[in-house]
Parts: sequence; C-alpha cells; structure tokens
Amino acid sequence: MRFANRIKYYFRKPHNVILVVLAITLVFLTLLPLAALIRDTFIVHPSEIMTVRGAKVNDFTLFHWRKVFFDGTKSYKLFYEPLWNTLKVSLFSSILAIIIGGSFAWLITRTNICFKSFISVVFVFPYIMPSWTLAMAWLNFFRNRLIGGAPGLFTAITGIPTANWFAYGLFPTSVVLGLHYSPFAYILIGGILRNMDANLEEAALILKSSRAKIITRINLPIIMPAILSTFLLVFSSSMSAFAVPAFLGTPVRFQVLTTQLYRTLNGLNPGYGYIMAVVMIVIGLAILAMNQWYLGKRKSFVTVTGKSSNFSLIRFKKSKIPLSVIALLFVVAIAILPLVTFVIESFIMAPGDYSFSNFTTQFWVGKGREDIGGGEPGILLNKYLYMAFWNSLKLSLIVAIVVGIVGGLAGYAIVRGRGTKIASLVNSLAFFPYLLPSMAFGAIYLSMFAKPIGFLPSLYGTFFLLVLIGSVKYLPFASRAGINAMLQLSGEIEEAAIIMGVPWWKRMMKILFPIQKSSFLSGFLLPFISCMRELSLFVLLITPANRVLTTLLFQYNEKGWNQYANGINLLIIIVVLLINLAINKITGASIDKGIGS
Amino acid sequence: MLKIVLENITKAFGKAIAVKNFNLAIEDGDFVTLLGPSGCGKTTTLRMIAGLETPTEGTITIDGKKVFSSKESIDISPDKRDVGFIFQNYALWPHMTVEQNIGFGLENLKWPKDKIASRVKELLAMLKIEGYQKRYPAELSGGQQQRVAIARTLATGPRVLLMDEPLSNLDAKLRTEMRAELKRLHKETGATFIYVTHDQLEAMTLSTKVCLLKDGELQQYESPLAVYHEPANTFVANFVGSPAMNFLLGQGQNINLDQVKIETDGLDMIFTPVSGSVSIRPHQEVIVGIRPEYIAITQESSVQASIYSALPSGMETILKLQVGNHILSSVVFGYMDYQLDSKVNIKFTGDHCALFDKASGNNIATGILELI
Repeated sequence: MRFANRIKYYFRKPHNVILVVLAITLVFLTLLPLAALIRDTFIVHPSEIMTVRGAKVNDFTLFHWRKVFFDGTKSYKLFYEPLWNTLKVSLFSSILAIIIGGSFAWLITRTNICFKSFISVVFVFPYIMPSWTLAMAWLNFFRNRLIGGAPGLFTAITGIPTANWFAYGLFPTSVVLGLHYSPFAYILIGGILRNMDANLEEAALILKSSRAKIITRINLPIIMPAILSTFLLVFSSSMSAFAVPAFLGTPVRFQVLTTQLYRTLNGLNPGYGYIMAVVMIVIGLAILAMNQWYLGKRKSFVTVTGKSSNFSLIRFKKSKIPLSVIALLFVVAIAILPLVTFVIESFIMAPGDYSFSNFTTQFWVGKGREDIGGGEPGILLNKYLYMAFWNSLKLSLIVAIVVGIVGGLAGYAIVRGRGTKIASLVNSLAFFPYLLPSMAFGAIYLSMFAKPIGFLPSLYGTFFLLVLIGSVKYLPFASRAGINAMLQLSGEIEEAAIIMGVPWWKRMMKILFPIQKSSFLSGFLLPFISCMRELSLFVLLITPANRVLTTLLFQYNEKGWNQYANGINLLIIIVVLLINLAINKITGASIDKGIGS
Repeated sequence: MLKIVLENITKAFGKAIAVKNFNLAIEDGDFVTLLGPSGCGKTTTLRMIAGLETPTEGTITIDGKKVFSSKESIDISPDKRDVGFIFQNYALWPHMTVEQNIGFGLENLKWPKDKIASRVKELLAMLKIEGYQKRYPAELSGGQQQRVAIARTLATGPRVLLMDEPLSNLDAKLRTEMRAELKRLHKETGATFIYVTHDQLEAMTLSTKVCLLKDGELQQYESPLAVYHEPANTFVANFVGSPAMNFLLGQGQNINLDQVKIETDGLDMIFTPVSGSVSIRPHQEVIVGIRPEYIAITQESSVQASIYSALPSGMETILKLQVGNHILSSVVFGYMDYQLDSKVNIKFTGDHCALFDKASGNNIATGILELI
C-alpha cells in the first residue's frame, strides 16, 4: 500500500511523468538501435552470403571484423586509409573553423571595425546553407578537366588550370568544411567574448600589458572552454559529413569513413559499414569524454562575470578601413559569391562556356529535351521537384514541431527533476543522437526498422521513418534550447501559479512558454533548418516515393546534371534563408540562441 | 607635487552627454570621492582619468604631464599613465591564481621572479590574505576577492589609485570593515585616491574631499563636513545625509534688516543667517532645509507635533513627525518608543539650517531657524 502511494505521489508531478515516458522512448530509439548496430557487425546479411563462405543469413560471424581490421592492404584501402583521411579532414577543418570563426568573433565583439552588423549576419550564412553549398561553389570555381567537361570559372577567367590537389580531395574538403562550420566557432567564442567583462582586459592594460599579451594571457585562456566545445562540435560534425567529401573527394578517389559507409551499405558488404559506424560513434564518444575531462579538471574556468556595460573597444586607427574591407570581402566570398555561381551555372547551356550566347533558361523553365539531362523538364516544370519540395517542407515542419515540443518538455522535466538519476539519464539520452554520425544513424535505423519489431510494422520506405529519425537526431538542439530556457526561469515563477491552483498545461502555455518564447522557438527553428538541408541522414532511407530536395539534388549531381543541381541548391538556400529570416523577424528566435549553450 | 587636473572635460556618447564641461583639481595625497546617483557621469570621469575612455573635449594633466588634450590631440594610453584601477566587480582573471593575479603587473614590468615572489608575499600580508595564494578567484569569498583586487593594483606601487565603487558588491558588515582598511591604506601608501561611489556614507566617512555630480555637471567640491553643513543646492542637501534632510516649501520676505520670515503650509518661522545679511525678493519662493538631528523634542517649545511613526534602533530613534500638513523626520539619541499619534513639542536647533531659492535650488544662506 505504501509503495503504491509512493508511486502515486511520484507520478503526481508532471515532470516525473515526462521523464519516465522520455526515458523509455529514448532507450528504445537510441540505445536499442545501438545494440542492433553492434549485433549487425557480427551477423551475415543477405547480400553477404556469397562472400562469407558456407554461411546462412543471420549466422554469427567474425568475418566483417577480420576483413575491416586485419586483412593487410585490403583493410588499409577499405578502412584505415579512409579513417586516416577522416581524422585529417576533421582535424584541419576544426582548426580552420576555430581560427576563422574566432578571429571574426574577436573582430566583431572587441574592435571598432565597420560593417559589423552586416558581417555578423552574413557570416552565419554558410551554416544555414547546406554544407555542400560551398563544395559545389568550389567546384564551380576550381574544377579542372579531370572529371571531364569544362573547367570552372577560375580557369575560364584566368586561363590557369587548377592543380588536382587544389581542386579535389583533402585540401578543398577540409577548407570547405572548416568554412561551413566556422559559424559554430563564431557563435560559441563570440558568445563568451561578448559576455566577458571588458574590465578583465582593461585591468591588464592598466598593469602595462601589451595588446598581444592581453590576447594570449587573458582572452585566450578565458575562451578556452568555448574553443574546446567548438572543436568537439566541428570535429564530430566534419567526421560525419557526407556530401562534401562525396562532392570533392570522389573525382580523386579520396575516401573518408562516411563515403565508405555509403558505398558498403549500398553495396554488397553492409557488415563493413556497420563496423565503420561503430568506429565513428566510438571516436565521437572519445572526443566528448576528453572534453568533459578537460573541463572538469579546471574548476577555475568559471568565468567571473559582471555587468560588461563598459565596452572599451580596441581602436584600430590606420588599419581600420583595410581590415574592415578584407573582412567584408571575405564574408561576401564565402556567403554570397557561392549563390552567384549557382545562378550562373544554372543558366548555362554548355558548362564552362560563360559567353552570353551560351545562357539559357532551359534548366529552369524549358520543356524536356531528349539530348539534355535525360529529357528532364526545367526545374520549375518538373513534377518530381515539386513533390520533393513538398516532402522536404512537410518533413521539416513535422520534425520541427515534434522536436520543438518534445525538446521543450524534456528541458522542463530535466530542469525540474535536476539531481535525480532519471533526469541525468534523460539528459544524456537526449544528447546522445548528437554524437551519432548522421550516416551511421541512418544505417542503424535502416537495419532496425527494415523488419517489423514488436507492434511496429516494417517502416522502411515510409514517410514516418523519416520523421522518426529526424526527430531523434535533432532532439539535442531542442532539448538544449529547452534546458537553457528553463534554467533561466526560477522555479518560483511556476510555484506562484501552483499555489493559485493553475493546472499544469496552463502553467506551461500561459506562463513558462510565453516568458521564454524566443528560446523555445529556437528549439523549433534549428531542427527545421537542419532538416531542410539534411542529406546524409536520409540518403540511405529514401525511396523514390518519398524523395526530398536534398536527395534529389544528390541524384542529379551523381548523374552529372550540374545545372539542375545548382538550380535546386539555389532553391533550398532561398527557402531556408527566407524562413530563417521570417522566423527571426516575427519571433526574435535565431540560430545562435539555439547553439549558444 | 602630484596633481591631477581636469579642465573643461566633456564626454558625449553619441547624442547623450555624460560629462559636461567639468573642472576638477586634485592635490597630492587627497582622497577624493566622486559622488552622485547612477548615470551622473562619475564612473565615466574616473575612466577618462585612467585613459579607458576618451573625452570628447578638454585637457587632463597628471603630475604636470598632459595625458589628454583634445586641442593638441594628445591621448596617452592607460598603460603609460601610471595609475592603478580597482574595478567594481574586481575584474580578477578567473584562470589565474591569487599570486598570479597579483604578480601579473610586476611581470609586465619585467621584475625578476624572486623579487615578484617577495613583493607578492608582502602584499598578501598587508591585505591579510596569506594562505590563499594558490587559490583561484572563484574559490574566494567576495571580501577576499576584493582584497586580491586591491593587492593586484597596489603591487606596482602606483601613486594614483582609481577606484570604481569597489565596495558595492560586499555585504554591509564587510563593507564597514573594508572602509576602515581603505582609510588606513590611504595613509600607509601615501597615494592619491580617487574613489567613485553612490553611497553618501562612504563618501562622508572616507574622503578628504567630496565631489558631487549630477547629470554630468559638478555640483559641489569641498570637504565632507562643508558639503554636509553648507550644501550648495537642494540636490546636494538631499543626496548627503541619512535620514535625508527635511524640505519645507514656502514664501519668504525680509524682516528686521537681515532676518527672513518664511511662511510654509501651516508652519511659520524666522530665519537668521549665521554670517552677513541675506536679501530676498518679497514673496520669493524658498525651500527651507532642516537636517533630522536639528529637530529636537522639547518642552521648551509650544509647537506641537504628533508621532506618525517611531523607529527605535537602540542607539538612536528615527521619528516621523506630523506638523500641520508636513511630515518631518527627526533623529533623537537613545531608545525612545513613542505611542503612535501621541503629541510632543518640537523646535529647530543648531545654526546649520539652510535656505534655498526654489527656482534655482541654490543655497541662499545657512543659519538659525525659529518656529513662530
């Protein structure tokens, strides 16, 4: 009786109900798939019957592990070289992102350069745009004759052919990913710099430190935690990036883990792919653990913040104008120029010929022609495009709503239940999908939901599966936003309503949500945008019936229909930017609020 | 002689003017407080002296050397002005230990390691924070952080110490304690202190001279006692002293050569200036200012007041008295618990009652007030 009472009391608190429901659901949607993934590395799949001699489907085998890790040169080509490439790309792009994003954060928050508001708005564009945007722009500019067809704009203008290492492979992949993720660094480091009391620097200045010394001894150590978080984010994001290496690496057979994953899972050896997915998850966890260990070691990192109303800016004198112009040109080059190339490329009949007579509207509004692009009509007349567009929009919207609500509730329950075991379990589970590389995550869901489990029918090929995986994958964004929003609210605000007998749902709708509206809405916005431009998460799960814009673009690109790909990319970017702008204007929610945790 | 002179300093932030045509001369060894409500320009002034803020116009001279002049476009950077600065929130570097914080300035002066160590030790002892040298700021209490901030500033031995509300983040008890320490420190270092505060008690108890600011303009610059007894205008009179001065609005007219008869709402009085004569226009609108300690409860008077409230705190009792339509505050020594609404007789004492012109707010004279 007593036990029953305790249970009754426990569940009388809404946050406990939410925590229990979330814990069960998330275990099912994140931990169970992980177990399924590990199991998949030890069994024989239907397509592998030919390679694993004398085995039946679902037999236990160590074949995959042996082949991936201990098969000499074959393992090297299959696994070690891509792994090594992945680590190099991730490392270089993290460093680049930190240097570029950090420098811009410093310029914007700490100096007197001009065009600040323009730069800070536009600098975030590369993150809002799909990651392959810059990769496509890179190809538009720098492609050479290696892949056949015409060279890019750079060669067309200057007449200088680009070197292979410059046009394809490690170098452009690292640079493009570094640029794409530098807004992370900008937002995280800028957030700390903005809140960092300017008095800390002034105190050093009065004690006769040079500018350089202030940066190295005061600024850098204080923003170290932000640098580390950036490193964690960019490294794991670059590691799981698929589109960029696929676009830039394929011409020179530059393979990374994700491209290998795609090849093996779509090919005859899914077992190899599952092992690679496990490896990627292990690396992600290791980085997170290192980060936690480092932050935990130095308690002194807690920034002593005060009111930083007194902003003393570093005043450039002679170098102010040149620096401002360089910064401006840089953001224009990475954020606006790519769009221009998409416009140009989508209007050109024969690639590489930029003369006026070669311009055409064929790929936008032309009727299908047998000799071009397999008879596909122009983008605006293409019914597949409209279908994919509608699918993308529907998917992103549903995912954003689901994730926003679940994330908000999770934030509420985790903060209210703070200190309990179940709250920290739900907290970790809600963050866990962040560490799962998208492609690996897609692979897991593919293997897990391809057959009926429990009361669930086989979900492969359904729209519901896309919603499910999108919701789980982007839950971390929304739950972070929700937690941050709730942490800023004192419990007393809700308690005041409890005492007046306001029911729970009314407290949520009338009090908590309105107060932290913009934070909660960021929890919708980020998943929406991410989903709109997601490729690697969906690429394994898409069937022709539920194609989305990004997978359509990927298909056109694989077929070499460059103009269509450029045009579709332009469409995606415009939609994403418009929606971002609209939500920003209407609600005040913005990308940086979601990430800036 | 180290002298700090500010001449015609003006500071505008866009259209808002923070400091207006401000002049100030600070003598060697002074302890000057810049006092005023928030937004009056006191912190901006201090930061301009340090070089952290650039004045829009004017000249600043430290020790005979022009450190800023808008006309000659001189702007010496803060690190070359040889001043120390203590920030309101201490601005201790969170990633450095106490000894690293204190030694940082000496490091910049390229002192050898052993000398830095011994100087740090000296300062730890001076500020009574021995044993904390290996701690990080986050591991210290507010009072200890404050001491570290002072030690850090003193380490390089600046002859001018600028302090921006250094005690406002401490609790009341610690604040009293630190006040005493600061006063001793001023004596021991022999440095010139310039101290920003909005707490009039701090200004009164610490400084050799108080500089009152309002809306970026200088109101009065004199010793604390002069500011207290001869406030230049109603703003100063109201800002300094707690409980605040009582103000009665009325009409005055000269009588008997140098006396003024003042009629307030139901309470008439005669004002006799202490020195010289005073002349006002007939029916001039005036404000009478009486400090609470000059309202005495006494049987000698026939003017009756009723007790509106009594707040005994042991050492003293603060009374609110209703006289006619006025409510006056009075402070009497000792523990007096009056029945509410009981009747007492009052009179005004002392020769520091003030007469202000209502229109300008300026002090006309100080003197003796007699109720009639």
